[in-house]
Amino acid sequence: MSDPETVILDTIRMLLERRGEEPTALRPDADLYQDLELDSLEIAELSVVLEDEFGTDPYTSGLVPRTVIEVVEFYNGSP
Amino acid sequence: MLIELLRTGAAESPDQPVVQWPGRSVSYSECLTRAEELARGLHNRSIRRFASVVEDVGDLLALLCASSATGSEACVYPERLDEQRIEELTMTFQHPTVITNRQLNLTASHVVKLDVLRVAEGALPTGPLEFPALVLTTGTTGEQKGTRQDWARLVSSVRHPDERPGARWLLAYNISQFAGVQVLLHVLASRATLVVPPSLRPREVLGVMRELGVTHASATPTFWRMVAGLLDEETAKEFALQQITLGGEAVPSPLLADLARLFPGARISQVYAATEFGSGIAVHDGRNGLPLSVLSRGEDADIRMRIVDGELQVLSRVGMLGYHGEERDEHGWRPTGDLVEVRGDRIHFVGRSSERINVGGVKVDPLVVEELVTGVEGVALARAYGRANAVTGQVVVIDVVARPGADPVRVQERIKAECGSLPPAARPMRVRFVPELELRGNKVVRGPSTAGL
Repeated sequence: MSDPETVILDTIRMLLERRGEEPTALRPDADLYQDLELDSLEIAELSVVLEDEFGTDPYTSGLVPRTVIEVVEFYNGSP
Repeated sequence: MLIELLRTGAAESPDQPVVQWPGRSVSYSECLTRAEELARGLHNRSIRRFASVVEDVGDLLALLCASSATGSEACVYPERLDEQRIEELTMTFQHPTVITNRQLNLTASHVVKLDVLRVAEGALPTGPLEFPALVLTTGTTGEQKGTRQDWARLVSSVRHPDERPGARWLLAYNISQFAGVQVLLHVLASRATLVVPPSLRPREVLGVMRELGVTHASATPTFWRMVAGLLDEETAKEFALQQITLGGEAVPSPLLADLARLFPGARISQVYAATEFGSGIAVHDGRNGLPLSVLSRGEDADIRMRIVDGELQVLSRVGMLGYHGEERDEHGWRPTGDLVEVRGDRIHFVGRSSERINVGGVKVDPLVVEELVTGVEGVALARAYGRANAVTGQVVVIDVVARPGADPVRVQERIKAECGSLPPAARPMRVRFVPELELRGNKVVRGPSTAGL
């Protein structure tokens, strides 16, 4: 199984690149909505990728992580 | 009536095969003799309603003709059901009698062996006043229902049979399906021959079509797409096809172009039909969708159509009387469940009302996605559907069967590029390659595929 952090970062990079943006400034504390401006379809796609890869994802579990690191922490079991 | 069509055929060309398999056939006169023997048996035993579990198409045709001669309500069960499923169906549809040539032990119904039912001598029953039949829906979009039909209405819907002499029709449906009944009716009405393949696997069907010189073939777009994937312009020349008919599912335009290229001498028709309302229209112009003029049919038309809130509705004189369990006969407008859009002079099918995908409040019709994806090089079949998602409620995903030899990575790249033209909510978030799509009666079963996984 792939490392969750790698999958999360790769997926967000893919979403940003598809929009024509440079994902160089992708920081762990980046806010998914305010900094990266992901829309609901992009968040939905992130959740689909994570669910397929790891069998679960934070959104299906009722959480709404704000930052990249909060998504990673869901898989690390950290608060 | 069905028996009358058989009698006419037997009088005009008694030795002509009415049903033919590789290596054997049944002539019109043989089938009529068998039908009359069975009609005596149904009459003598006072069998008013029955289920048929008879898989030999010649015997089945004779039994259906016999039922129309006595006014018994026949219901053909799907092929190759196990005993438990047969028992369930007899209880659902309250069938007191099952006529079969199989060894069945049923608790809820009386089993009558087909050979025992035949009575060689005696007067034939006089013509009944009603000609009921119960035809089951295929259940590709939900649970299987029984539709109460009338042979007189069904026969009257085949008003203009294609009567080119020597026509040999392929049976690419089960006779338990409405489409299979339609093929039977066309064969009998035009005194043609029904060609029965040993299975509905495309490669095997193609072998029989070539061997027995099939001239007319009616099948689902799913079936034709698989056929198109197995042939090229050279191998297609080995077929004698004069008439290709597609029905039962929406027809993607790339498929029409493929068939026209492979079979340049054949007329290609699309039939818009359903078990509930009958055969609504046949379109022969090679374009997908229906002409807008169908909405202007007069009150004397067998089938009228209108669009209400994006859904096609139908008023039919030749359709079912009602569902099994509904005592009252239905004569009003019925929703078809088919979602349509008018573009120019054409009505295009965009999906089923029950299958519309809701992506964060944006309604996506899966057929629009499927039509685009099936046009992508390397794609044999595609089925789009909604997948539950915590963020948007649903997202669009798609199952794809790649053509033999196609590189899935390249195909996926092409699909993604092509889907860029769709509104964002309609773009599939996952493309899943599957070895096959689940089929029932050669129609794709809607929803995620479990076939071959």
